[in-house]
Amino acid sequence: MMKITIDGKGIELEDKKTILDAARENGITIPSLCDHQRLSPFGGCRLCIVQIKGWKGYPPSCCTYAEEGMEVKTKTPSLQRLRKEILELILSEHPNACLVCSEKNNCDEFKSTIRKVGEATGCVLCSNNGRCELQDVVDALKVDKVRFPSIYRELEIKKGDPFFDRNYNLCILCGRCVRVCHEVRGASTLSFTYRGSEEVVGTVLDRPHLESGCQFCGACVDVCPTGALSERAMKYESLPENTAVTICPLCSMGCELEVELKEERILSSKPSQDGAVNRGQVCVKGRFVIRDLVYSPRRILQPMIRVNKELEEVTWEDALDFVAQKLKKYKGKEAALMTSSQITCEDSFILQKFSREVLKTENRVSPVDFSALSAFSGLSQEQGLNASMNFRIEDISKANTLFLAGADLPVTHPIIWLEVLKAVRAGAKLVVASPHELSLNRYASIWLQNKPGTESTLLSYLAKAFLENDEDGGYSRMEGFESFKKSLDEHDFSLAYKTTGVQKEELMKTAELFKEGETAAFLFGMGLTQSPSGIQNLSVLWNLALLRNAQVFPLCQENNLRGVFEINQAYTGKDVSYDQVFHEAFTGKLKALYLAGPMPDLQKSKIEFLVIQDSFTSENIKKADAVLPATTFAETDGTFVNAEGRIQEFKKIVEPLGEARPDWWVVSRLAQKMGAKDFNPKNNSAILKEMNKEIPGFSKTSNAKLDSDEEVFVHEDEKGKKRFFPIRRVPVPEETSQKYPLLLSIDYNLDYYRNLSLTQESKGLRILRDSRWISISPGDAKKLKLNDGDIAWIESSSGKTKSLVKISDAVPRGMVRANFLWSEDSDFSVIPLGFSPSYKNHLLNFIPVKIKRGK
Amino acid sequence: MEKLIDEFEGDQRELIHILHEIQKKFGYIPAQAVSRISKQLKISESEIFGVLTFYKAFSLKPRGEHLITVCMGTACHVRGAPMILDEFKRKLGIESGETTEDNQFTLETVNCVGACALGPIAKADGEYHGQLKTREVDKIIKELMNKKRNSSK
Repeated sequence: MMKITIDGKGIELEDKKTILDAARENGITIPSLCDHQRLSPFGGCRLCIVQIKGWKGYPPSCCTYAEEGMEVKTKTPSLQRLRKEILELILSEHPNACLVCSEKNNCDEFKSTIRKVGEATGCVLCSNNGRCELQDVVDALKVDKVRFPSIYRELEIKKGDPFFDRNYNLCILCGRCVRVCHEVRGASTLSFTYRGSEEVVGTVLDRPHLESGCQFCGACVDVCPTGALSERAMKYESLPENTAVTICPLCSMGCELEVELKEERILSSKPSQDGAVNRGQVCVKGRFVIRDLVYSPRRILQPMIRVNKELEEVTWEDALDFVAQKLKKYKGKEAALMTSSQITCEDSFILQKFSREVLKTENRVSPVDFSALSAFSGLSQEQGLNASMNFRIEDISKANTLFLAGADLPVTHPIIWLEVLKAVRAGAKLVVASPHELSLNRYASIWLQNKPGTESTLLSYLAKAFLENDEDGGYSRMEGFESFKKSLDEHDFSLAYKTTGVQKEELMKTAELFKEGETAAFLFGMGLTQSPSGIQNLSVLWNLALLRNAQVFPLCQENNLRGVFEINQAYTGKDVSYDQVFHEAFTGKLKALYLAGPMPDLQKSKIEFLVIQDSFTSENIKKADAVLPATTFAETDGTFVNAEGRIQEFKKIVEPLGEARPDWWVVSRLAQKMGAKDFNPKNNSAILKEMNKEIPGFSKTSNAKLDSDEEVFVHEDEKGKKRFFPIRRVPVPEETSQKYPLLLSIDYNLDYYRNLSLTQESKGLRILRDSRWISISPGDAKKLKLNDGDIAWIESSSGKTKSLVKISDAVPRGMVRANFLWSEDSDFSVIPLGFSPSYKNHLLNFIPVKIKRGK
Repeated sequence: MEKLIDEFEGDQRELIHILHEIQKKFGYIPAQAVSRISKQLKISESEIFGVLTFYKAFSLKPRGEHLITVCMGTACHVRGAPMILDEFKRKLGIESGETTEDNQFTLETVNCVGACALGPIAKADGEYHGQLKTREVDKIIKELMNKKRNSSK
């Protein structure tokens, strides 16, 4: 406890903090431009200077920590005079005519249409007018003239990158963008470059952001106090009327978004500063793609039924009558339901209930079956393990050693990445196992570059390395240890390099790091589990983590995968296999399909009656007999469960577009028409109440108010044991052959929402990472005479598809990387993939292919 | 160059040292060097770029055979450095920051070489010429040209 006075006001401080923070918390404003609550103190703008009794000069309050008995003054005449002068100096390199114009207030009324100019030379021409911190400070300090000559720096305005423009003539060099990019995001795309009067924020060799490793998270745009960085899509928009809060549905992080609205339309989406998970951060999708998604021209807005071979728009009443009447004919094995893992828990619950009670079928499939989560749970059930799937994101940053496999975190789990980065910044050691180079490798102490498909062997060698020279951490007395240890005997270190491509020394170094660190964390994503040996990979990882008494963090993919998983678990426990349903659709065994989730092309299938309930069109619509428009997340209330197991409730932010309705509404009405009772939930909370009773995972939702600040997690039963078990040796993976000389590796970027390919919808995202890209090493590209942007045919034993060539240093020779999508863009014909009868629910991670130049 | 960079063990504090070595050996910092250093030291490319554009000692463009640096610090400035600079420009036929067409000379300015008592001062291939007079400029250039001739013999 510490006492200080600021402007005569006595203040008690609990812990160490800067004078600026102490003042702000007590309602005392000190002007500042470079300080930011999420960034370390910088002391750049000098506006926050104060006077302290007994101190010489004018220390900046953002960099001065409070000390016992300090007497601080923030508003003396000399301080105000100095601040004004400093601000005038800042303004001398920023367009200032508007800022100090005596007509400023009158002008406001007429400025609405003139913001589309090429260059902002005054506030009225600047797209950030009205949301500019420089304007606020000028007003607060009442600066009405600038006594220094204006300097126009004549810097080129950079418009070559997607999503935002950079006009450094407006930059005041506060360094917030540089700091957020480095400190918080770890991208370090931006730096201060050049020196003195030439100093400017820039990228390496003044390249565009696209070529500097930028992931376009938009954090720099959000912290910029001026219009130097501005979102391009906002240039034609005026200021928002109000904002609303929602949860981003584009990956499993569950970031809270603050959506700006005008006339009931979404203008833009920004990270919410108070978001429990994301705390002011978000990724490119949440920041720049939400609006494109909701207002996509691919939205289905009207119910349609097929009459005389043509789809016709009809009313909901007619559409539901039609579907009810037709669907009644099919029962049990003849009918199947496909759900999505991107819809709300409530939607998913009602769909599940519909399939059980109305369709009376066990044929129910969802993308959950392919997830890291499903593999993890499968293993823990099989072996009777006490494997919790819940975790707290902040526990990751507390680890001293971290192991990561099967996820390109900055892209797939951006917020988890920020936690890993925090750990690394605090001195933790990161070990990454990946066949190809990842952008985050810069932060890794060790990169184990294994040959594709040898993950389980690599992990086994690692376990062996862990056990060598290790003092027993008590694990040898744990159940199953001896048999586990014995199962490692087959792995002879002398063969480690030959089989996995990783040297023994690297393995021993890794073991050494994990021996030193007190708390370890093992993170794995879909990349580790999506292969026939996925369960084996996980088995070794589990044992490995047990040796270090560490938590395993399963990183699932879709936003509500965990929620849908919990609902499925409560009933059959398991869905039927995806392959089976897909296969039967083509043999004719399956007659009716209710498609509320993603499915590959069914046009040539023998389905008699196909219902599509989705927000976006797909190729399959040509085959559909009825099309029911569903709302997106923005137009409905609901709950999602994020990767941590955190149950997050959100509210509707705009009215449903067209005739679109929430999935639960559609299915309940349909069930009623089909004669089912007990299918009339009034609203979302009614469904949640029902779930609370029926789904064990949701049993905690009743006593907690979800929309309050209280955190609610999925309920997990204590079951199983923490124990070792022997591992099986995995055969060498499918080798490449002369016919298929390259190995295709699948990335799970999750650039889709329901049936929509995000890269198809958002031009910017397409420029950043087109889902049709295949990345290939410069060496292989040269050999195959391929250039960047060429069209190439990629062919596997099961089919071929077209793609765009992207040459990348990060890919080793002999390998090709492609993105996997559950949507139109993706051609499943190459991935033999999980749909061949020999594999059950496995999309293969590594597939032998050949690549040919195409047209 | 790769060998040169790989000799450093990956200590981030070695950045400026590495840049100096490359500058010395190649006369400039080639763009490929930036990405190579980035990988070796695990520092982002833009941070390296920030450092190398901060110091005048590093150049991104190839420099000429001989480097002439005229000090434009305050002390030198009041003692006539601008006239010295003008003389170099006239004799070499280039602006400050440029290299002669025959790739022989690069002319640069710095803000202080830390020898204010000797101002105006210029550095020619690392050799300091204090209390310069404009008529000595020609001599310095000729000396450098001779040096080249001598060393090539």
